[in-house]
Amino acid sequence: MNYTLDFTPVIEGMPALLMACLGTFGLALGGMALAIVIGVGGVILRDSKIAPVRWLVKAFVELIRNTPFLVQIFFIYFALPLAGVRLDPTPTAIIALGINGGAYAIEIIRGGVQSIGKGQIEAGLALGLHKAQVFRLIVLKPALRAIFPSLTSQFVLLTLTTSVASAISAYELTSVAQRIESDSFRSFEVYGTITLFYLVISWVMMRFFAAISTRYFSYPVK
Amino acid sequence: MSIFKPTRRSLLVTGAVSLAMPAVLTRAAFATTPDEIKKRGKVIVGIQGDNPPFGFVNTSGKQEGLDAAMGELFAKELGVQVEFTPLAVANRIPALTAGRVDVLFATMAMLPERAKAVQYSKPYAANYITLVAAKSTVVKTNADMGKLVIGVPRSSTQDTQITKNAPEGTTIRRYDDDAATLQALLSGQVQAVGANMFYVQRLNAQKPDTFEDKLEFQRLYNGACTRLGEKEINATLNSFIDKIKANGELAKAYATWMKVPLPEFPASVEGVPFVVS
Amino acid sequence: MGANEFLFLLTGLKWTVLLSIVGFIGGGVFGLAIALARTSGRPLLERITAGYIALFQGTPLLMQLFVVYYGLALVGLKLDAWVAVAIGFTLHASAYLGEIWRGSIEAVPKGQTEAAKALSLHYVWRMKDVILPQAIRISLPATIGFLVQLIKGTSLAAIVGFTELTRAGNIVSNQIFQPLLVFGIVGALYFLLCWPLSLYGSHLERRMAIATR
Repeated sequence: MNYTLDFTPVIEGMPALLMACLGTFGLALGGMALAIVIGVGGVILRDSKIAPVRWLVKAFVELIRNTPFLVQIFFIYFALPLAGVRLDPTPTAIIALGINGGAYAIEIIRGGVQSIGKGQIEAGLALGLHKAQVFRLIVLKPALRAIFPSLTSQFVLLTLTTSVASAISAYELTSVAQRIESDSFRSFEVYGTITLFYLVISWVMMRFFAAISTRYFSYPVK
Repeated sequence: MSIFKPTRRSLLVTGAVSLAMPAVLTRAAFATTPDEIKKRGKVIVGIQGDNPPFGFVNTSGKQEGLDAAMGELFAKELGVQVEFTPLAVANRIPALTAGRVDVLFATMAMLPERAKAVQYSKPYAANYITLVAAKSTVVKTNADMGKLVIGVPRSSTQDTQITKNAPEGTTIRRYDDDAATLQALLSGQVQAVGANMFYVQRLNAQKPDTFEDKLEFQRLYNGACTRLGEKEINATLNSFIDKIKANGELAKAYATWMKVPLPEFPASVEGVPFVVS
Repeated sequence: MGANEFLFLLTGLKWTVLLSIVGFIGGGVFGLAIALARTSGRPLLERITAGYIALFQGTPLLMQLFVVYYGLALVGLKLDAWVAVAIGFTLHASAYLGEIWRGSIEAVPKGQTEAAKALSLHYVWRMKDVILPQAIRISLPATIGFLVQLIKGTSLAAIVGFTELTRAGNIVSNQIFQPLLVFGIVGALYFLLCWPLSLYGSHLERRMAIATR
């Protein structure tokens, strides 16, 4: 038989696919927000005076960074209900993305914090600033500037990872594409198109972070 | 980004080539005939890996089930080795049309919309599609499905049936395969699932006496699938299926895996031709 | 969980390891070619490889696998599922490794290239004997980091129906319905595979940080 490319199902499904892009953005932004919270919280706890807390954070980072995201999301979705925690696919996906991204964020942010010289912190304390103020003004902001490129690529990766959430039937681009594919059996056409969509999405994300970077992190600092 | 400057002629040539390309390239590559299979010495069978008792991989990694038995019998008929390619539910038709497998013995229920994409053989198995839920869940009519969250394997027959019969706005969750769908019900992520005739048995093996069939949607017949337009292999499959129906080998495989007697098969199914026209 | 089920998981693990090795070696070979093309100083080559890298780094691995899995067959290549998946991972890995190694080739001080040129070393020898040995050393932590990433990425082959560790876990979990236990074990197996590599990678990184201090 002959196989001729036929994009009709893709074109007919275009409104649904474009809507689904919003789902993908939603998962990505939710995951990033949670990742930042976990990242900052983790860095603070990692320097805790209580040793078991430090170990816990380290173990969390190693565990998450050395197991696949698919296994993590399956675990949260299929196994945790047995322990009484049952969440819908979308919250599950956001939490899984946040935890996964958070583990990487902890390491990235820690690297940034370490790049701040001890002397600067001491100087800040000597000037009578609170510990919290020192952290926010002297540690966090310059550290964020230093780590912004790594954080950006980690978050673009997180955005692309949202496609895996289709495995637990979350609403996002890949699952909608699979639906169109299963109605039309035009797998190559559908997935080829979606691949381009993702290329645009990751480009948009990169522009978005670049804009933040120029807006908040460009010299001179106020 | 001017990697190359298109001229009108180069565009025309490129256009013509890319239009003709799929046709030219795929014709030679796709045509699978019984002779070619014999020459190669093995037949590549697309099958399900996680849907007992139709097609599943047992814990020692061997492909088993009614579909596997069919594949083995078909290979014996051709005098070749059999090689199984386990496929996710949603991958079955793409794997066939893309030329990854020669034939599907993959619980392919005969549906008119699928018959536009693949060529069915005569039926060799029967199945029915139901809604399965816990006994305590009250479902009497199709309308009752509206208040449930229902899981189905993506692009399976269950998916088609639930989507068609459930009221508008029912939450349907689609998973990659039977395994994930069953797990979703067992772990309480969904309250009901679109099921084939064996789901209840499999589910109750995990949680005894918990689940039951609630609604029956459709009686279905499974056929082997080949690519559209491939006359010879379709004819070979049909005479093979006739033969094993006549000599009792199908009934034997049926008794082993399905634990029920061989059903009556219809002479035709609306919208699903068994023979290449 | 019986011994049979555990053995089935180990069979899955075997495929995970094989897929990772093939992807890493294949990706390494092509990745090196890409890194060299990317630093060749020829605008056309550099642009094409930059596009290649952007394409693979800007799209989900899952989509890459889908497109390769179905696309290769459409252009007339009939391949085993496992070969198709391996090709997908090779392409994916070559883009990432190409970018990592481009960075490390560029991180080798310019003076090295100039000195080699002054000695009128041919491009091949200049790369093979002078630049690459240093670049490889520089890139080692990032390369190992990517290997870990690749091993974890092979889990996505489960979604195209390839029975590696994650899919084996799904199947077993379905047969014995103890998802906590099964996914716990699957996770632990991945961890045992990846963690030593991660530790080695950060050890190298620390050592190099000290060396360059």
